[in-house]
Amino acid sequence: MFAYIVRRMFQSVIVLLVVGLVAFSMFRFVGDPIDNMLGQERTQADIDRLRTELGLDKPFPVQYFKFLQGAVQGNFGVSYRQGRPVSTIIAERAPATLELAFVSGFLAITMGIALGVFTAIRRQGVAANVIMTVSLIGVSLPTFLIGILLIYIFSVELDLLPSFGRGETVMIGNWSTGFLTSSGLKALILPAITLGLYQMTLIMRLVRSEMLEVLRADYVRFARARGLSDRVINFRHALKNTLVPVITITGLQLGSIIAFAIITETVFQWPGVGLLFINAIQFVDIPVMAAYLMLISVMFVTINLIVDLLYYAIDPRLRVDARAT
Amino acid sequence: MILRNSAIGLALLAATSVQAAEFKWASTTDPQTMDPHAVNSAPVLGFLNNVYEGLVRRGKDMTVEPALAVSWEPIGEGEGWRFKLREDVTFHDGSTFDAQDVLFSYQRASGEAADTRSWFAPVSEVIIVDDYTVDIMTSAPNPLFPSSIANWMIMDQGWTEANDALVPDKETGNYATINANGTGAFKVTVREPGLKTVLEPHGVWWGEVEHNITRAEFNPIQNPATAVAALLSGDVDMINPVPIQDVARLKENADVDVIQGIEARVIMLGFDHEAETLKYTDDAGKPNPFRDARVRQAVAQAINVDAILATIMRGNAEAASQLVSPAMSGYSAANADRPAFDVEGAKALLAEAGYGDGFSFGLKCPNDRYLNDEPVCQAVVTMLAQIGITAELDAMPVRNYWPELREDNYDMYMLGWSPGTFDAEHPVRFLVATPNEEKKLGSWNFGGYSNERVDELLPMIQSELDATKRQAMLDEVTAIYQDDHVYVPMYVQPLVWGTGSNIDLTQRPDNFFILRWVTVN
Repeated sequence: MFAYIVRRMFQSVIVLLVVGLVAFSMFRFVGDPIDNMLGQERTQADIDRLRTELGLDKPFPVQYFKFLQGAVQGNFGVSYRQGRPVSTIIAERAPATLELAFVSGFLAITMGIALGVFTAIRRQGVAANVIMTVSLIGVSLPTFLIGILLIYIFSVELDLLPSFGRGETVMIGNWSTGFLTSSGLKALILPAITLGLYQMTLIMRLVRSEMLEVLRADYVRFARARGLSDRVINFRHALKNTLVPVITITGLQLGSIIAFAIITETVFQWPGVGLLFINAIQFVDIPVMAAYLMLISVMFVTINLIVDLLYYAIDPRLRVDARAT
Repeated sequence: MILRNSAIGLALLAATSVQAAEFKWASTTDPQTMDPHAVNSAPVLGFLNNVYEGLVRRGKDMTVEPALAVSWEPIGEGEGWRFKLREDVTFHDGSTFDAQDVLFSYQRASGEAADTRSWFAPVSEVIIVDDYTVDIMTSAPNPLFPSSIANWMIMDQGWTEANDALVPDKETGNYATINANGTGAFKVTVREPGLKTVLEPHGVWWGEVEHNITRAEFNPIQNPATAVAALLSGDVDMINPVPIQDVARLKENADVDVIQGIEARVIMLGFDHEAETLKYTDDAGKPNPFRDARVRQAVAQAINVDAILATIMRGNAEAASQLVSPAMSGYSAANADRPAFDVEGAKALLAEAGYGDGFSFGLKCPNDRYLNDEPVCQAVVTMLAQIGITAELDAMPVRNYWPELREDNYDMYMLGWSPGTFDAEHPVRFLVATPNEEKKLGSWNFGGYSNERVDELLPMIQSELDATKRQAMLDEVTAIYQDDHVYVPMYVQPLVWGTGSNIDLTQRPDNFFILRWVTVN
């Protein structure tokens, strides 16, 4: 067990290092930050001076090594655009993304499971068919289109919800929260739906097909034969057994909710780390891009590591194989 | 029922009067710093014009008017300028303004770390005569000096020293990066970079208050569709810019107004004047046809600017004949004609130059720098095809674009130029003069065009005190670069702002948004 964990951790570190190396080798193609940092009246001498100052004249492995040196000490450098430490900026922006991800994840799970169960039980019903058709639209429309559509309906036409931003926020320690003000809660609705819609339909369809499968299983038939009520069969026996794959998928999707928040955040001008990353690309703000990419890869690697470890704990076959080799 | 209606009416009235005091606006770019000397870019200087002030400022029609200086006059035969300073001016933190702050701001804004130091290249010395008189000495007579420092903003020496922000620090930032202490009509009360910036009126501002704003909030909104939605839903009162394709739709909406003007920026095509050979497509390695002025003229005649304006810009821009728009000082009215659209003439010119069979080359374009830049380049490609020359278009984001131009990786390219001084001398200095690193000339003359007469006239224009003689020289320079077809000026980029219909404001051609000219009705 211990050797397995150590080996997996070691692999994770290598993945991280490779992600970083690939990221740094790509930055040159994103563009040149110098022109954004100097005004119209710059001279070639200014350009050369700044390039040396920022270490951009060095080959990318050297730049990467310097970044790693800082990152190990918790120093991610200073944003080219804002002139402030990247760690401060990310800490400022992270609550917005995490709150949005949390709410849309919550929406996706609750709505997804409820609708999934409903469409599985009322398989032939009109309502279930309508939901299935609509969910198909939800899966196939791109996020930015859904976002713009929601903005036009709910803020331009109906004028019920704000079209952009996060509303008023309250600081609790270093954490800015939008949960405590009415404008903050209102501002959450549209982005949360936009971000969670895809995951919601995914969970819904998964729950539905698992449910249909389970409802055909022998033990459900026996339960029916015993004369148990539909409610008990559907929720105590059937739903419980469908949840195992749902939990696995949801866990893995959590990472992508945070990572895919980029598009939703851009459409709603939501001040999270995704929007920060998009701005950083436009400005070629290398320290911010590097820190964001490393953070996201750390997150994915960690989630995967935990899932792997859970499998190891749950699935005895893995342990047998490990002993055999 | 009547009672309830009137109650609603009262509530509405109350709501509008609250709204009358608050103003929200959005633009694509957040000013990256609050330090007026750290970054010389339009988003920063435009925003900070509401917070800081210079000795002089620009009025609604771009003319230079007194701000922290009440008057100014040349010293002797052009040795410099004497500025009489305004008395009883206080900074936002309550300290008073005097000549010491001017000297300090000169040192700060012209220092090694300042992005604004090129403005002070002509200055040899700044002398405090008394508390409210300052002499700024120039190494050569400089008639345009007062108008060239309209964006040089004065900081308080005491505040800057107390907060350890003596030099602008763009790379790592300091106190002045996120705090501001100017003398302007508005002070910064909240600054959250990239999220929002809140301005409130400076209670003891020296000027006459024209606005009725008690609180103004700026939000950057990058996505144009979101910005339009925010304007339509009333979440913001003003957006800049309005996407060209939305202009017609917004004009039909009674709740919003579209305010259009002509920006200072001229969009043009540039050539490689130095390269011996073409660099792109099948003809790479063959002699560079663009070194021949006849070929450049053929390009100018082949481009149907009116068609570009009518279709791609949807009638929102004006054709340009030279490197500055007619709104700029020093515009050459004598050279106001641009080459007529003439396909046959262009073909004849090509044949005369020995390229009757055409050739192919590479055209570089940005795709996120100017309004509809890539569609315009695509149109240029089709128009050039009509005279038998084939352009291979390579459009890219601006962050990749400037490095390509600096590396000379183009045969022809697109460029937009907005003269920082609002004078016709500016593009000559940057785009037409022979590149000279030491004298800081021709730093954007990527093609390396060189003309002795232009280089000879430029310093004379810069130091000529007589307006008529100066204009004659500018006319001569304009005629030279027009006859040589150094660039092909196409059109002046439009400014398109959107506002709520209850907002009155003034749009300045430099695209600066001046909050003190806003009235919320």
